[in-house]
Amino acid sequence: MSSCLLEEVTFHRCCQMLLQQSEQLRDGWSWEPVQGSQEGYLRKTALKSAVISSNPVWDLQGSISDSGSHTSCHSGPDEQGEEKDQSVLVASVDADATNGAIHDDNDGVCMVSEGSSQVLQYEYHIMYSCSYSTPVLYFRASTLEGRSLSLEEMWNSVHPNFRLRLQNSPFTTITQQEHPLLGQPFFMLHPCRTEEFMRPVLQAAQDQHRPLNYVLTWLSVVGPLVGLDVPLKYCTQLHLAASPSRTEPD
Amino acid sequence: MADDKDVLRDVWFGRIPTCFTLNQDEVTEREAEPYYLLLPRVSYLTLVTDKVKKHFLKLMKTEDVEEMWFEYEGTPLKWHYPIGVLFDLHASNTVLPWTITVHFKNFPDLDLLHCPSNSVIEAHFMSSIKEADALKHKSQVINDMQKKDHKQLWMGLQNDKFDQFWAINRKLMEYSTEEGGFRYIPFRIYQTMSDRPFIQKQFRPVSPEGNAHTLSDLLKEMYPAAIPNEGEQKRYQVVIHGIEPLLETPLQWLSEHLSHPDNFLHICIIPVPSD
Repeated sequence: MSSCLLEEVTFHRCCQMLLQQSEQLRDGWSWEPVQGSQEGYLRKTALKSAVISSNPVWDLQGSISDSGSHTSCHSGPDEQGEEKDQSVLVASVDADATNGAIHDDNDGVCMVSEGSSQVLQYEYHIMYSCSYSTPVLYFRASTLEGRSLSLEEMWNSVHPNFRLRLQNSPFTTITQQEHPLLGQPFFMLHPCRTEEFMRPVLQAAQDQHRPLNYVLTWLSVVGPLVGLDVPLKYCTQLHLAASPSRTEPD
Repeated sequence: MADDKDVLRDVWFGRIPTCFTLNQDEVTEREAEPYYLLLPRVSYLTLVTDKVKKHFLKLMKTEDVEEMWFEYEGTPLKWHYPIGVLFDLHASNTVLPWTITVHFKNFPDLDLLHCPSNSVIEAHFMSSIKEADALKHKSQVINDMQKKDHKQLWMGLQNDKFDQFWAINRKLMEYSTEEGGFRYIPFRIYQTMSDRPFIQKQFRPVSPEGNAHTLSDLLKEMYPAAIPNEGEQKRYQVVIHGIEPLLETPLQWLSEHLSHPDNFLHICIIPVPSD
């Protein structure tokens, strides 16, 4: 069913709508054009404080760096599975604390003494993937001194609840990739299963004749996984704006 | 198709004589001898340089060693591009062997992806193949394969086993005769003249009128400057696997025969040497 794919022109239209709303809500998104072409990307930066540590606290390491193949194995957890995962999580956090204490004297650059947090600059880009006909989220983070965070540090700065969710999520993987327009290393949420998780949402919207901004809806699913919050106001606003006249043919 | 199997072999077994030298700033116990290797064009730098690493590490203290990376004449080399692409893009028209500088310090975070293990290369390779199949067959062929088939593609590349790789890869090259080609051609056009690393868009192998698109048709749309106007001197070379294919070559044929194992047709556009 082709209606689950996003065409490039629609992507641009969705981005324009998102930008307008972002302006009203002061959410900080901007459009960065690529010189000499129609292409470009949505960009937002955010400052956040986080405790960073490069300790491999997380049993997840394998699946972070191994990409695709692993994630598809995680189906939604049943009750028992969830309980087990929780205990793994607790164990890893404990391990983190212990490691922190043991290595405190180590002068490894990444070590931050337990409990102290640091301000990090996050940068998020939304781009169109012509291979998958979906939006893709690219992101990176650095310290205020300009040091880029590694993949491990990135994971460790994600809230444990979301780490758990990512681990169990069948549709996301984080890998380091080259930014296709800038040529610099970024982290990327792989788009290969986007169509799959967007399909029911799009279908429901279509059945109920609700207006839907593909990019916004997609972002509200993937953003929070990597610390990017999408205010609820985007959605309420969308309904108000679009309800009086809706002419789009199905 | 069967007659063209020689082309597949020639592409697979393409080699570049390379001389690795250690960056002068690295601290060694005695002077480091250069290390020579024949690099497979279709592989990845970090996949085939274990021996280079061992060779130089013998002379160094562990505390002086960080992640290994490569540089050619001031340009950090992106390991995630196939070796042949790096050579064509940065070192075409230079004297062989290709001289690459090896670093173990000051990893350029802003230029290069980290490559802590072969599983990262595998993930990158498989993700390229998946992306290519999304373009060619809406991911149907790659998704219908079993996990062991995916593994066989990777092991074929890793162990330089042509037959092992192609036993599976030929399925990724199939298309229905009525369509006359893939849905879209997975290609990337590289150049070093701007910051943008490559151009990658949707492009069909056959025109709406049913004519086969050629390399020239692709370039006209994606990079018109690469095609000289009539009466003008040629400014750019269009290089695939170290050769300049005729611009009249059908794109579908190029995609089937001159793609890298990652299933992308990597095209380098480089300025004609001025001498």
